[in-house]
Amino acid sequence: MQTPQFQGTHLFDRLCWAKENLDGVQSDIRIVFEDPNDMDAPAKILVPDPNWVSAAENGGVLPPVESYWELAKDEAQPDFVKHTRGYLLHNTEPVGPMTETTGPYGGWVNYIIMKDIPQHIWRNWNEGNKPKMVICRKDQLPSTREWRNAWKISEELTTQELAA
Amino acid sequence: MASELRVNTLKDASGNNSIATSFVAGGSAKCWAITDNGAAAPDSLNLTNIVDNGTGDFTFNIATDFGSVNYSHPIVPADNDGGGGQDITVTSKAAGSIRIGTIRDDSNKFDNAHFLSVSMFGDLA
Repeated sequence: MQTPQFQGTHLFDRLCWAKENLDGVQSDIRIVFEDPNDMDAPAKILVPDPNWVSAAENGGVLPPVESYWELAKDEAQPDFVKHTRGYLLHNTEPVGPMTETTGPYGGWVNYIIMKDIPQHIWRNWNEGNKPKMVICRKDQLPSTREWRNAWKISEELTTQELAA
Repeated sequence: MASELRVNTLKDASGNNSIATSFVAGGSAKCWAITDNGAAAPDSLNLTNIVDNGTGDFTFNIATDFGSVNYSHPIVPADNDGGGGQDITVTSKAAGSIRIGTIRDDSNKFDNAHFLSVSMFGDLA
């Protein structure tokens, strides 16, 4: 599918185009992470949205992830009322095609981590005795949600093993 | 062939019941999703991902942020076992995400919903 030249088009309109013209991609990728600031909380599991994955893999639809960071900075200001720099999402040159692990940002898995997982987790994911974040496949997780609030990243998984 | 209509007002065939296209666009859901017993979304619009935070606790991350946190979000849960009802609580909300919990109204504890139907209305960034 030939992607229209979308720079300057509202991101919502681009995503509507993608939903209408691209087949959703149900990825088996799961990103498991724990927040060191809330060690009692269970591990969280990020599940990519199929329509978003198809837009990411097609390319030419999503804005640079840095645009989201800028909006997040604005929203973190104590006097924030409403966004005034939405144009960063719409007018910045869209990101090219990504696979899970190739393309801009090293793939859409990295992009989605940088967009929606707190920076204090992904920037230091491999510091400490065990990783704060693990990328895995759906079938590597428990098949039922029994004892969901007890799920943690395995203590047997060391950062050295992952680095190797 | 792709085409585009540029109109300010829509009317029925008799020329009555007019409505501004801005009213239609402004009142349409800007983000929606359904989930099935977890964080996987069989279908959605304007979503990046769903984070499963724990039992009955999910964050919906939005692709095109809303203009502010002042957007509405009707959410409908369906109970797992058909017994008892469930309430919804919003535990945090930002222009680009909303975290919700599903609570059994007979125990007041977080509980997984069989599915969630979420939609959001408001002005985008």
